[in-house]
Amino acid sequence: MAEEILRVEHVSKRFGGVTALDDVSLSIQKGETCCLVGENGSGKSTMIKIIAGLYTPDEGDIYIDSHHYKKLSPIESIHEGIQVIYQDFSLFPNLTVAENIAINEQLAKGKQLVNWGEINRIAREGLDKIHIDLPLDAIVSTLSTADRQLIAIIKALLANARIIIMDEPTTALTQKEVASLFKLIDDLKTRGISTLFVSHKLNEVTEIADRTVIFRNGKKVMDQDAKGLDVQTMEFYMTGRHIDTSAITFGEVQEKAQPLLKVENLHLSHGFFDISFELKHNEVLGITGLLGSGRTELALALFGELPADSGKIFVDGKEVKIKGITDAVHHGIGYVPDDRIREGLFLEQSINNNIVVSIVDRLINKLRLLNMKGKADESGRWIKKLDVKTPSGELPVKSLSGGNQQRVVLAKWLASNPKILILNGPTVGVDVGSKAEIHALIRSLAKEGISILLISDDIPELLATCHRILLMRGGRIVEEFKREETSEHQLSTELVGASGPASP
Amino acid sequence: MLNKIIKSNEFVIFLILVGLSLIVGIINPAFFSLSTVFDILRSSIVFFIMAFGLLPIVIAGGIDISFVAIAAVTSYSTHMLLLNRGYQGGILLYYVIACGMGLLAGLLNGVLVTRFKLPVFDVSLATFTMWYGFTLFFVGATANFDLPPGTVGYYGKFLFTLQDPLVGETGLHESILYVIAIGLFIWWFLKYTTLGRGVFAIGGNREVAVRSGFNINLIMLITFAIMGILSAIAGVTQAFLSRYFNPVIFISQPLDVLAAIILGGAAITGGRGTVIGTALGVLLIQLINRTLILTGIPVEWQRLVVGTILILFTSLPAIRDLRARRVGHTTELVQAE
Repeated sequence: MAEEILRVEHVSKRFGGVTALDDVSLSIQKGETCCLVGENGSGKSTMIKIIAGLYTPDEGDIYIDSHHYKKLSPIESIHEGIQVIYQDFSLFPNLTVAENIAINEQLAKGKQLVNWGEINRIAREGLDKIHIDLPLDAIVSTLSTADRQLIAIIKALLANARIIIMDEPTTALTQKEVASLFKLIDDLKTRGISTLFVSHKLNEVTEIADRTVIFRNGKKVMDQDAKGLDVQTMEFYMTGRHIDTSAITFGEVQEKAQPLLKVENLHLSHGFFDISFELKHNEVLGITGLLGSGRTELALALFGELPADSGKIFVDGKEVKIKGITDAVHHGIGYVPDDRIREGLFLEQSINNNIVVSIVDRLINKLRLLNMKGKADESGRWIKKLDVKTPSGELPVKSLSGGNQQRVVLAKWLASNPKILILNGPTVGVDVGSKAEIHALIRSLAKEGISILLISDDIPELLATCHRILLMRGGRIVEEFKREETSEHQLSTELVGASGPASP
Repeated sequence: MLNKIIKSNEFVIFLILVGLSLIVGIINPAFFSLSTVFDILRSSIVFFIMAFGLLPIVIAGGIDISFVAIAAVTSYSTHMLLLNRGYQGGILLYYVIACGMGLLAGLLNGVLVTRFKLPVFDVSLATFTMWYGFTLFFVGATANFDLPPGTVGYYGKFLFTLQDPLVGETGLHESILYVIAIGLFIWWFLKYTTLGRGVFAIGGNREVAVRSGFNINLIMLITFAIMGILSAIAGVTQAFLSRYFNPVIFISQPLDVLAAIILGGAAITGGRGTVIGTALGVLLIQLINRTLILTGIPVEWQRLVVGTILILFTSLPAIRDLRARRVGHTTELVQAE
């Protein structure tokens, strides 16, 4: 019988009239990897914050070892060995690796003066704990996401963590980096350190979990040994319904007509080489490849953000020059970036303002003023069409969940009537239920006449939306798959195979 | 190690300093003399002090322009106060009283920033205007040349002197020692105290600094206190170096000091900055201001030159970032090829 470290019993938490957690219990054993899964708003983050001592539960008890807490403070939580690694890793980008690692100990001991020798010693010890080597004097902002995550983990270990809570830890990692993170989690396990792994990505959950816990609408709906648990079952528990992938209908592609977009021998040094393909009317064309395969560069080239060095681009049979974003927009090309928070939205602004931002010139009346009614009508139409879940279009975008924010980005581009829409990772960080809805939306957009270039490494996503899929490797298109003729297995093998050196 | 030095901002600005000196010297050989060095250093002294005082605030992510007004109000008020009481003594009491006032004025900014969560720049814009207005309205509006007898010799207190064929006896003023002491103190404060590291932490990521347990309010109050005290020292020193008290001293200079700090490699958004870089930045701006005349370049051009160097300098990291971003996407690709 494993030793239990943490037990949360019958915990409820309400915010105003909303019940975030409703009579939920959770326990974590020593050395266990427990995966906590659930859609946005299911209560995962509330649970993390209760365990971290940031929220006090309205009802329920927390037991850590044999200590009983009605109310846990953040300091008590840390003293009990609970460490949360947030998505931003809580690091100082301008400071060195060594200082980032050692700063907590420095503060915890209440030292007024800094001994740099000791800081380096602490940092070196920390790095040795997980057997990795990073230059101590490197500035953290120059490191990769994976390395920053390692530093966050080291910080947790140096704080004598017994339970490390990782909040969506793989969001920004490449597949290789995910693999080494999982190895590290296994390594922690052998040392008796437990991990509470919070994630959307069910295929990763099946890989790493000893036990899987699923929350839905503030309730625990599943808590069982992860062995034999498959993705479909988890999806069912998460969403409360079966997501039927077999019943998907795809629109007809106009095979005969002239292609809407044609690219010939496009080339960008350090980006991609000799890219040629056609995008037909009503088609969803997938472009996949690992990070660094040149897929994002290609999208940015077509959108004019990183104009290609040479090659030809045709829209509707006519050759066009895309030297900047205005050219792309002029030719009816829209781009929805993968980092919607940073590049796609004005978070503080209202949903309405965000939707109409790219079409304000159409909403100007005779006095050259903004037609407020036209604005509200236009954005109202898109909120309805894309089913953005909000009580009012006047609320700031940051009040929306990830899936709904993504819809607002889409609405913004659709409002400008693009012919071609480039979507880069349209469901990154979006939960399963909204994901299926966004996929349906992509398919129906294509049916309605917008051709879509979908850039993604989420294979089920590609299969759920695309007519054809191009695989990029080392900056080149190396293979083309038709949806009907390929499978998830084949695609994932080919995709991972792409991590090797480019074939000559 | 050597590589790191060569790549550093400080080294680049050092090269510019040397290059500019060479050009000026070639055009006008009179430039190459110790008296020129002493002259530039003397004109730099108060700017060094103010820049060192401002540096921690900039590193913490704030932009302050009120320090010049604090220098003016503290030095001028101290002088008028002592003058009215018939003070006959030396310079020390001036520093003591002015520093006390500077401390309070700095803390006023600090309290407004920490207690009411106002942006540093907004607060400083208000206190900048307020202190100059206060001085002119309540203390006096004219320059005052009546120095107490005990302070008269201070103007010519040189560490050592030499005979220059052109300008006669000249020397290095002893207040350069204050600069060295203050520079060392700020360097030590920023590098070797937890509070100083907190200044960098706040500038790097304020949210994380709070979460890590830094006492943000205390740190901000201390940086403002340092700024207030050093501004007062700069104000008094300037008055005795120029032998008169000016109620609107430095009113047009806050941006020169900020420019020096930025040239020295500090990020205007916070998180980065060094004492050495700041000192070099001050020297570069003073060199440009004092010596372009020697080359025959009209005075009006000086501002243009400073501006151009600033543009080049501030855009350097941006260009580097842009390239890194473009290359960054495809690191795996480059390895694969």
